[in-house]
Amino acid sequence: MADRDLFDAIDFLRREGDALMRRFVRSHRAAAWAELRFEAVSHRSGAAINGEPREGNETETAAIGVTVHAEDRSGAIGHGHTGAEIGRLAAEPTRLARAVRAALEEAYERARASAREKGALMSRLGARAAALAGVVVAERAPVRAEVAAVYQRDPRAIDVDELKRIALDASRAAAGLGDEIAYNWVGATTELRHEVFLDSAGSFISQAFAFSQGDCYVVAQSGEGHQESYDTIGQQRGFECLETGWRGELMPNADLGRFAVELAQEARELAAAPVLKPPDREVVVVSDPHFNALVAHEIVGHPSEADRALKMEAAYAGRSWFLRSLADNQLGRQVGSTLLSACSDPSLDGYGHYRYDHEGTPGRRVMHLERGNFTGFLNSRATAAALGVEPNGSARASEGWHVPLIRMSNTFFMPGETPPERIIAEVERGYYVCGHAIPSIAESRENFRISARRVYEIENGRIGRLYRSGSVISDSRSFFMNVDAVGNDLRLIAIPNCGKGQPMQVKRMSNGGPTMRSRARLGGG
Amino acid sequence: MRSVAEIRGFALEGARVLSQEKDLAGFEIFASTAEHRIARLSYTSDIPCRGVEEMKSLHADGFQVRIVMCRDGHETGGAAEAGEFTLSALRDALGRARRATVVDPHFPGFPHQPRKLAAPPPELRDLARASDAMLAACAWRVIGGALDAYGRDAAAQREHPGLVLGGDVSIIRDRIAIASSGFPDVRTDAGAHFSSSVTALVESLDAKGTAGALGGSVAEMREASVSMGRDAVRRALASGGGVRPRSGSYRVVLGPQPVAEILNYMVMGSLTTGAFHAASSAYHGRFGARVMDERLSLVDDPAARTGAVHRRITCEGLPAAKVELVRDGRLVGLLSNHYDAHRLESDDHRAEKLGPSGAGMTFAAASGYRLGEGGGRRFDAHPGAAGTNVIFRARGGVAPAAMMRAVGEGVYIGRIWYTYPINGQRAGDFTCTVTGDSWMIRNGELAEPLAPNCVRISANIAQVFDAPLAAGSRAMPAIVWGSPEAYYVAPIAVADIALAEVAPTA
Repeated sequence: MADRDLFDAIDFLRREGDALMRRFVRSHRAAAWAELRFEAVSHRSGAAINGEPREGNETETAAIGVTVHAEDRSGAIGHGHTGAEIGRLAAEPTRLARAVRAALEEAYERARASAREKGALMSRLGARAAALAGVVVAERAPVRAEVAAVYQRDPRAIDVDELKRIALDASRAAAGLGDEIAYNWVGATTELRHEVFLDSAGSFISQAFAFSQGDCYVVAQSGEGHQESYDTIGQQRGFECLETGWRGELMPNADLGRFAVELAQEARELAAAPVLKPPDREVVVVSDPHFNALVAHEIVGHPSEADRALKMEAAYAGRSWFLRSLADNQLGRQVGSTLLSACSDPSLDGYGHYRYDHEGTPGRRVMHLERGNFTGFLNSRATAAALGVEPNGSARASEGWHVPLIRMSNTFFMPGETPPERIIAEVERGYYVCGHAIPSIAESRENFRISARRVYEIENGRIGRLYRSGSVISDSRSFFMNVDAVGNDLRLIAIPNCGKGQPMQVKRMSNGGPTMRSRARLGGG
Repeated sequence: MRSVAEIRGFALEGARVLSQEKDLAGFEIFASTAEHRIARLSYTSDIPCRGVEEMKSLHADGFQVRIVMCRDGHETGGAAEAGEFTLSALRDALGRARRATVVDPHFPGFPHQPRKLAAPPPELRDLARASDAMLAACAWRVIGGALDAYGRDAAAQREHPGLVLGGDVSIIRDRIAIASSGFPDVRTDAGAHFSSSVTALVESLDAKGTAGALGGSVAEMREASVSMGRDAVRRALASGGGVRPRSGSYRVVLGPQPVAEILNYMVMGSLTTGAFHAASSAYHGRFGARVMDERLSLVDDPAARTGAVHRRITCEGLPAAKVELVRDGRLVGLLSNHYDAHRLESDDHRAEKLGPSGAGMTFAAASGYRLGEGGGRRFDAHPGAAGTNVIFRARGGVAPAAMMRAVGEGVYIGRIWYTYPINGQRAGDFTCTVTGDSWMIRNGELAEPLAPNCVRISANIAQVFDAPLAAGSRAMPAIVWGSPEAYYVAPIAVADIALAEVAPTA
């Protein structure tokens, strides 16, 4: 895209966006609030299968999402949203402005249509529809901010051939392990994403992000069985983190080639390992940081999302074991061992880092568990008001055209002081579960079965035999209350594909934790 | 949305331009315009709420160009462009497609059909023209129906009843046009359907009920909006005070939603040529073999008369066709796109992956769709293999009462959740929790309701489909969250399913 640059739209919106939003609200009497989200994305990727090239991709695109709140004569408020992928027309200011105005108009009419119907229903039902009378949105002063992306190698300057090559080399190396590797797929991606948020109160926030990600899927088989393994490395950095690896303290990763080979080696070893035949009783379980990343994600992170807790996701992704009602909930109550603390922190250098959410609220650390007590939810402006707390900047959309949902950032169990080796050495008989695979969670996340990539026996403090197809099954509270050791080896893991919403939004984030020890039942194959 | 004529005109003009590019041996232009309109429902009696959380639309217009180079018939690349159907945009995409090329030794070229397809019929579905006002009216009618039904029950007099209503009313519309060096014509298609699911909870009673609807017309959507809120609330109220079965092995009836969910997450992904090539199918080495009870059949039919999804051509321009997947319990067909069909046919390990009966099989690329997150066709997606209207039937199926009798003592499971292949797709092991619409079966009849979320199922697909005690005579519609397919499934009764207690939330 030499002559028309989508990223120039940022400058146009910086200059003209405020006036565009104010004019819209002034000229639409029923409009109570309007927001615009814009993003320009430059994406390059390469993929290979079984040591052979499969595809390359180079995309530059743009999208808008607008939200309008409109008030009916009856006082009922309706909420409309329009999202559209607008692509290269974003590079032409006149056409971009026209697209934004059209989207605002459409969202406004939609909000009014909903407000009319809502008003009619409230009038018909009277007190029986009292809950519809008003959702307050927490106040926030207008924000103006600029945040730059962090990278050594600019994703826009990377030749797609480099991504094709690095994926191909990694796939070849994995395939080269032998015939036991029945199939492998390796993908490499680097992306620059520049977002703008504007609202009718005068906010303008420009944030840029660099994402680079490597993915590997392996099927290995032996005479004994088969193993499917999938994993991801990712950083909010440039291509350098795939090419040479990344040595950050919290979330280090190997280079893509080594990462793929190690995953394939592990899959090969697992395919020859026996399926776990689980004991018919609760056992001591030591879990590693990679496994605990998924526990933090499913059992702490998701149920800490206030939209879920306030029943707004009841038809899709379920409710929260932390909140039965505004009057009956776990806030301030013990839900886990005093050794257990957990938080979400978007300021950390993880895959879920950001400075401002997609409602323009600054993101900040939210403590979920403090010494076993549940202490707080991730929220949006509306859910913060419902809970009577300050907004903490957790409403985020996966793409510019989507509505923001409440999302995790870098969500993890906090480290303790015990070396992981000692946590294992203290176990007379138990199991060491390593690497997360697949989760299955009860509706309010009060119970889970999460499979591990590897399960080892522990006998007399030593790691023993390796098994595949093992999983941890427990009621959430029981698992947390039984935690009796927390390691000092905190790691964050890049999670590339957290799904939520209708339609499904797939979001990147980090989850993690240190090595932990608890009690649970195990599942097998 | 753009008109079919506009995207067809672009594809035609684009094909003219690309056919003059001397370095190209072949090309394909896939243009699409798609809209997903959603009214998301969120009503909570005890917490201030919006009722309709938002009315929203997501528009995805654009095209994808794929090319194959003259210098090597296996050198291929592609690029997509959003929002604009101009020759300038096409040239820009062409430049990126050239930079993106790889030499893929297995690339079979683009689909080739020398004969023109019959012209498509005009876009008849009135959902293609449904207004926002109509969608808003339907969404609020669902809420009104729910509140009316709830208001008639004594539970409504409680100070904090904890009535929760969630779900959505959604319309999915798409139009596509495909021009290719392999076709003599520009091929077009259009689709529109709605889906709606409603979940009602009465938390003071620990009760949950659901309702859902799928269809292809405004009249069906209006009709559904009248009944769904009411039905979900009535089902919830009927399930209050539910029991929590002890852990153990049970005889169960799996209703339409659980069967659809297990098919979606555990079976359909294994019934593709891509899964067999990747050695990740649960039916690895068993093509042609019996993989289900001989009474059971599974079909994907994009032209099913009662199906919500109608597709005339695939997103590769080939005729969309009915695919028999399982006939009389035997695995006889696979969903496929053009690439994966050829890849499996040329796979050196094909005999091992398909099994002895698959040796001479060829697979039609009748299911190559490029789908977005809402299930509509999407310009920048790669052709995958997906179903449309998935129909699961049983020969000799019986009425619901006979299924209960076949179980005798057990559990009717009406809704499951978070069903995942816990040990990978190929292993066939799955786990999920029972979330609502479920009842104990005693003396062959429905007895007391189950509390929502009280048990976890851990099983293997073989336990479900290999030897059912009985199966239903009617295939009923079912929606699976996040799935592009519409399911029409018969319930089945199964023995020896392990249920494990889930502790209630405090």
